[in-house]
Amino acid sequence: MEPDFLATVLLSSLSSASILLIATLGLAVVYGLMGVINLAHGEFLMVGAYSALTATQIGLPFLLAIPFAVFMTMLIGAVVELLIIRRLYGRIFDTMLATWGLGMVFNQTAVLLFGTVSPGIGMPQWNFRIGDFSLAVYPLTMIVVAALLLAFVYVLMTKTVYGMKARASIQEPQMAQAIGIDSARVNTLTFAIGCGLAGFAGAILLPIIPATPSMGLFFAVKGFLTVVVAGPVALTGTALTALGLGGGASVTASFMTSVIGDVFFFFVTALLLWLYPLGISSKWRRKL
Amino acid sequence: MFEKLYKSSGLIFPALATIAALAVSGSLDAYLAFVATSWIIFGLLGLSLDVIWGRGGLLSLAQTAFYGLGGYFGAVVAINMAPTYGMSLVWALPCSALFGALIAAALGYVIFYARMGALQSTILSYTLTLLLWSVTQTFKLDVGAATIGGDNGLSGIPGFVLGFGEEAKKLKPNAAFALVVCISAAVYFVTYWLMRSNFGKIVDCIRIDIQKTELLGYDIRKVQVLNFAYSGAVAGIAGALFALWANYLNPSIFSVQEALLVPIYVLVGGLGTLAGPFLGALIIGGLSFWLGGGAAGGQTTLILGTVLILLVLFLQNGVLGALGSLWRRFMPDPNNAARLTGAVQIDTEVLEDILVEAEKTAGPAKNLSTDEAFKRFGGVIPVNKVSRDFTPGEPHSLIGPNGAGKSSFLKTCVGLYRPEGGTISLGDEDITKAPVFARVRSGMGMKNQKPQVFGEKTVRENLWIAAYARTKDSAKSDAISAQILGMLGLGAQSGVQASALSHGQQQWLDIGMVLCLAPRVVLLDEPAAGMTNEETRELSVLVRTLAKHTTVVVVEHDMEFVRTLEGHVTVLHQGKLFAEGDIKTLRANDAVLDIYLGRGEHV
Repeated sequence: MEPDFLATVLLSSLSSASILLIATLGLAVVYGLMGVINLAHGEFLMVGAYSALTATQIGLPFLLAIPFAVFMTMLIGAVVELLIIRRLYGRIFDTMLATWGLGMVFNQTAVLLFGTVSPGIGMPQWNFRIGDFSLAVYPLTMIVVAALLLAFVYVLMTKTVYGMKARASIQEPQMAQAIGIDSARVNTLTFAIGCGLAGFAGAILLPIIPATPSMGLFFAVKGFLTVVVAGPVALTGTALTALGLGGGASVTASFMTSVIGDVFFFFVTALLLWLYPLGISSKWRRKL
Repeated sequence: MFEKLYKSSGLIFPALATIAALAVSGSLDAYLAFVATSWIIFGLLGLSLDVIWGRGGLLSLAQTAFYGLGGYFGAVVAINMAPTYGMSLVWALPCSALFGALIAAALGYVIFYARMGALQSTILSYTLTLLLWSVTQTFKLDVGAATIGGDNGLSGIPGFVLGFGEEAKKLKPNAAFALVVCISAAVYFVTYWLMRSNFGKIVDCIRIDIQKTELLGYDIRKVQVLNFAYSGAVAGIAGALFALWANYLNPSIFSVQEALLVPIYVLVGGLGTLAGPFLGALIIGGLSFWLGGGAAGGQTTLILGTVLILLVLFLQNGVLGALGSLWRRFMPDPNNAARLTGAVQIDTEVLEDILVEAEKTAGPAKNLSTDEAFKRFGGVIPVNKVSRDFTPGEPHSLIGPNGAGKSSFLKTCVGLYRPEGGTISLGDEDITKAPVFARVRSGMGMKNQKPQVFGEKTVRENLWIAAYARTKDSAKSDAISAQILGMLGLGAQSGVQASALSHGQQQWLDIGMVLCLAPRVVLLDEPAAGMTNEETRELSVLVRTLAKHTTVVVVEHDMEFVRTLEGHVTVLHQGKLFAEGDIKTLRANDAVLDIYLGRGEHV
């Protein structure tokens, strides 16, 4: 095995794992802090991608299109929380079904509005060479973005008043209410943040994954598996699982075919669930 | 009359619907008959989900996987056999059912034996569907005359052929419709019978309280896997019918949209009703048909997604569920009798009879011994090398301050907690590694701190299901449950739902269920909680009588109650044995007083 090839595979796998982590983090936040599995997460990612695409089409620079996408998805997320999620607290499977339906509605609406194919936006064409192999720079920067995003969410949850309230609400809901935390409002914000993270993912990944109505599905599926395998310790668990599953699948895919990479992903998921039936972090003592 | 009709509504109305469908099948417009056939098939697919979700309690998103795999497998067999031998059904249906059942059993084995959480189970089942969806896109294989062509699909599947031989012709749409109605009705009635049978009763109990069901001695995971396999077989049959109906299959059968439709059918019709999914499929199918565009029409997903959200929000029990609760309003409330009770009085003579009889059938009382039993949760060690022998003859009480590890000790003995070290033996048998149900079968009976009763079931059914766990015989279970019912004096409440009983009565019912098991070792965790003073006195009589025939270990906070038991008392503190003796000596023991009152150096 040539060292150049190995380095290339490692870097690109790390980048795929980071992309998976970016796409999954919002889901993990919503699951970890609200106990809600948002099956429309992939569609929020798609909404973010289309928002950013539309923004660039009307002339906004890409760097400004990202906050616009985050804003749009947070807004929609807050409305969804108020209208649907709020009525289903504590009914996890009903929430799943309702958000599944919501995902379908978003998907079909996107088909109606934008059609099934849409132009991508060009990826910055910088390349980077290792020996005979050339790698695109933009996907590699996602490693840094993922690390920054993880740090951002960690600080948001541990160092801000909102974060304290959110964690109090999930750990001891009644106690949190008893000391005057309006947990309903905290939850609305949490859900909006989760959707905003999806929107951010859709926007920042736009140069790599062009916007299509069904783009969410690909990430959503792997995202759910990652979060569920990660278990209750949402942030650390998800980061670790995304790295292991996403990276492993990507390594497998580079040596064999992408279908085998997918099979690897699903198979290892099943294996991990067999070994840790309540998620890998179910016995950890840390909480975030 | 009215109530009888309600009780057999699951039989009468579907039978009427089948007759009606067969009656109109000849005169339907051929195209409508063709489309309506697919609705029935989707209803059958919905039924398969209702079996595992509405009854079994697992939301499986793998039903379309069993459906698709069953369809593919049945179709391949039919393509190879039908041209020469005719009769596509005879080949396709059993193969599909078997294949669907096998796949479901394999998935169920992983889910249930790994003891996955509910969410993990659902997600894993979803993984299977998605895995198939991505794999089948490129999966190409020739099997005899059949060509599975990746995303080009599998074509050339024969239609519904009933006659034998090469000459046999495929049925016209109207006849095919009637045939599918007949097959679906047959599957429905078999399912209806199965869910009412003793197997179905156990499935219901697992859904309501899985831990209690295992504490009764049922091999719950085996029942769950079997139920899942049955559901997979039904889905497989639906898949074969679909393949024969469409004459063509492709990977879109594993798509997310397809998987979404199944829970919708079930939710529209009514979860757990069995007939509901057919109604749901009919409503959804009919709606998309008359809205135009048919099942594949452009805006169908938009409408379906909205329907799903509205259903979950506003009509959780579906159409049949709503009709059922409307109907129940016009019937007398069976739970009225719950209010007519006085204090429970134990009939000690009957109790003696029961215990003597139990001794005859289940053998003599057994000792329960632990040797250095050890259990830890992270930094907490609730059971720290406890070695203790419990023998029949007099009641054993475990006392100790909150957090002393009393309940954890009982749970370790019965297997709800797996010990990390030491051994536990029942009689001469080492049961340290045995699963809960096996320990119960070897003679352990446990009542947890919180009363565990099957709330939706009546008092009599609760006792019956406990007795059946041991006897596996309906007639004997009838007799035993009637006997225990009389002993507890709950005869007037036999038809009341257990959830309508008061907390104290639920405790009695739970104890009664333990007695139905004829246990050789009885573990009772705070049985007196929630009981009145009179009831506590009765309980004391019961425990003392019980101890004459079996080994009894009681965890209790009520010192007065412990005193009346006049038995051996063990004090636990921080997971360790602290002191033992009779209650008088312990009351004079300063160290014991220290830990209870939180003074001195023992704290």
